[in-house]
Amino acid sequence: MDILIRSIQLTATGREIVRERELTADTITVGRSTENAIPLPDLAVEQQHLTITQDTAGTLHAKAAGTLGFTHDGVHTMAAAIEPSRGGELGVGSYRLEFGAGEAEGAVVVTIRRKAADEGEARDQLAGFGVASVLPSRRLVSWGALLAILIAFLAVPVITHVTRDRVAEPDIDSEGVVVMDASWSTGALSSVHHGLEDNCEACHVEPFVAVRDETCQTCHNQLGDHADLDRQRRGMPEFSGGEAFLWSVAHAFGKPGPAACTDCHTEHEGAGEMEPTSQQFCSDCHATLDVRLTDTALGNAADFGTDHPQFQTLVHPARGAEEIRLSLDNVTEDFNGVKFPHDMHLSDTNGVARMAMRLRLAGNDGGLECASCHQTTADGVRFLPVEMEDSCEACHSLVYDRVGSTFRSLSHGDIEQTQADLMASDRSPRSPVSSGRRRPGPFAPGGIYYGNFGRVLNTRLTRADFADEALCGECHYPGDGPELSVVPVTQRSRYFMHGWFDHSAHGTNAMGASTEAEACASCHEADTSSSANDLLMPDLASCRDCHMGEDAVEAEVPSTCAMCHSYHPPASVDSAPRRIASLTRRREDER
Amino acid sequence: MASASQTKFAADEERRNSDHISFLRHRRWRWLKVATVLSLVVIVSYLLVDVEPRHNGGTWYGYTLGTIGAGLIVWLALLGIRKRRMSEGKWSLKAWTSAHVYLGLALIVIGTMHTGFQLGWNVHTLAWALMILVIVSGIYGIIVYAMLPEKISANRREMTKGEMLDALAAIDRQLDNASQPLGRAESDLVIAALEQDPFKFGIVTRLSGNYRKCRTTAALKAFGEGVVHDEETDKVVKLLRKRRAQLDQIRRQMKLRALLDIWLYVHVPVTIALLAALTAHIVSVFYYW
Repeated sequence: MDILIRSIQLTATGREIVRERELTADTITVGRSTENAIPLPDLAVEQQHLTITQDTAGTLHAKAAGTLGFTHDGVHTMAAAIEPSRGGELGVGSYRLEFGAGEAEGAVVVTIRRKAADEGEARDQLAGFGVASVLPSRRLVSWGALLAILIAFLAVPVITHVTRDRVAEPDIDSEGVVVMDASWSTGALSSVHHGLEDNCEACHVEPFVAVRDETCQTCHNQLGDHADLDRQRRGMPEFSGGEAFLWSVAHAFGKPGPAACTDCHTEHEGAGEMEPTSQQFCSDCHATLDVRLTDTALGNAADFGTDHPQFQTLVHPARGAEEIRLSLDNVTEDFNGVKFPHDMHLSDTNGVARMAMRLRLAGNDGGLECASCHQTTADGVRFLPVEMEDSCEACHSLVYDRVGSTFRSLSHGDIEQTQADLMASDRSPRSPVSSGRRRPGPFAPGGIYYGNFGRVLNTRLTRADFADEALCGECHYPGDGPELSVVPVTQRSRYFMHGWFDHSAHGTNAMGASTEAEACASCHEADTSSSANDLLMPDLASCRDCHMGEDAVEAEVPSTCAMCHSYHPPASVDSAPRRIASLTRRREDER
Repeated sequence: MASASQTKFAADEERRNSDHISFLRHRRWRWLKVATVLSLVVIVSYLLVDVEPRHNGGTWYGYTLGTIGAGLIVWLALLGIRKRRMSEGKWSLKAWTSAHVYLGLALIVIGTMHTGFQLGWNVHTLAWALMILVIVSGIYGIIVYAMLPEKISANRREMTKGEMLDALAAIDRQLDNASQPLGRAESDLVIAALEQDPFKFGIVTRLSGNYRKCRTTAALKAFGEGVVHDEETDKVVKLLRKRRAQLDQIRRQMKLRALLDIWLYVHVPVTIALLAALTAHIVSVFYYW
């Protein structure tokens, strides 16, 4: 082959010296030895390093002569093929041999250069392969994130909390001044405390001090004690085992309790009603209360479904007896001072029903209904007292006189006024029935069959009016004293002292009844009661038809203690504990 | 004498064998077993323990899990220090790494049960989310460490990274020479391609392998695919193709490397962020107790 060897050297000043020589040989040898066609004076090059031959197609074949290889286009190899027309570069030691096609057919040009000393540059670029070259340093990002989080979520809230002006009585509508502490909230507050959502420091007053009872009482200052504090302490069982350990840990960290507000009223449990207190908090003490408080009047209670004493109601066991609380197991009568057979009044078929129909007082089924006399209070929780004038007088009329087109009634409930009314009543004789004819014989005035259609009423009340079936005695019992009087009538609005019952939560839906009357009848057996003295209160067993303890999943209404009882006695027994009332309503809504 | 040498041989053999066992299978999956038992105990106790009113970090059970979890997080983070201190023996780095992986996975259970599934927009959930992010990036790391080295090796075709750059440089020199006869416009295309730093591409380009701004590809496109050129131009086009092929190898290398390394850029800084969030979480909970 014909080959033009072009050797380029650099002078010290960087000028290129180009030497060219032509050679014709079958094999071109490359090596350190001067005998080679291309001698390369470099100790890294072998004496005979590689040989180059050309095949008939013109392709050059380079082959390592010894054990050291060379590079072809930068890649280490022991043999390489180069198309002169496309060019190629061989690297041997510090020399670079660039092959190309010569001007003549099949001629080859090889240009020899020594690598410049600074050509390790590419190696410095190796780091470019890694992602470190295009991503911010991990250390930088780490420090940045660390500082950002510690400042935003720790330093800012702590500093603004420590340096704030204390507010003695926080307002539920005003915002707190601590910045970024919303990020500390573990969950939304219950609906009653929702206004404090943006005012953490209202409750979290001191750093690293759990919320104290005094803080709750800043607003909740009307609450009575559950019981005498000393009795509460004596009633509490000694904690044992795991619970004692947990309390010792809690106290070591300065947690208040047991019996702190926050032990029962847990917050940050999500929006909505506050979680009802679990029955465990009650049963801790009340399950075995009589062991520690031997003089307690309360029965032990741990679970409404399985361990709850029979209800006790306030009753007059008999006429003249003292009013006492008795268990429903031991009492069936409550003397309330009125004669009123519920069965007769609720019948659909008797004279009462007939009269109710004629006076358009009857319900759908023909007779009177519970609601004909018993009206609920505005909140629907319980019933208003039955008023004689509103509920009874339509039938049991006390009219005694007629003046022109109006009627005069006796003053119900006021005997002296009644006497006065009667004495002042119109005494003019009734206009005689005059037909111009007189009745004969014994039918004539004075005769044995004379019909006197004149006034029948006495001009004053007498003891006879208080006899059974008489004017007053029809409904009332005569009083015991020498004066004319009746036994006072008792209408209770609450029979239970500690429990709470909401009638509005026990309507037709809840009781599965088609009518109101049916709903009433599912607890109160009024339609078979022939005496007003029958105590129509449902007992524990009938409540348990639906209500069982908190964990009784099979029950229609799993019930915690708090459904009927309030831990904090309300200011007056007549006011519904608000929480219980709202709980009951929520249960109703959920159905 | 014989027995002593046999003992030594056995000991050496054991060491040699253990040297070739993956940290995942260290001591017959010892830490996998430990972590599984730990997770099961936590799950079962979570279901059995009845705390009022419900599970969250503030119950005694929640505090217990929180303490264990925080301790674990700190210990797991210490791998970064431990791995820089070579030592042998009981707490070999392999044992430590094996425990790091499996206990880190168990932390998903411990941390999540600690929350009682009460999550929200607060610093507490931030700590939980960062923890999950760290663990997920760690899982990714293990997967790519198992899968990618083989691919990287295949892509190298026995070339070192330096050789890849040398090869590119060789092609570039030839390209420079071969382009001498070209006109201005064509020369500018070649200059543009030669001047472009193969590493001046961002992380997204590296990961996707979609080099839209590659000037070598642009030059090839400008010269036209399948167009018949004169001899000089043809030589340049062939060299440009060669250059692109070499670039492809380098880019595949960068992509695989990026896929292999990227998780550490999440795992490490997020771990530090997690330690900060954890501190804020713990301090804030007791500050506003």
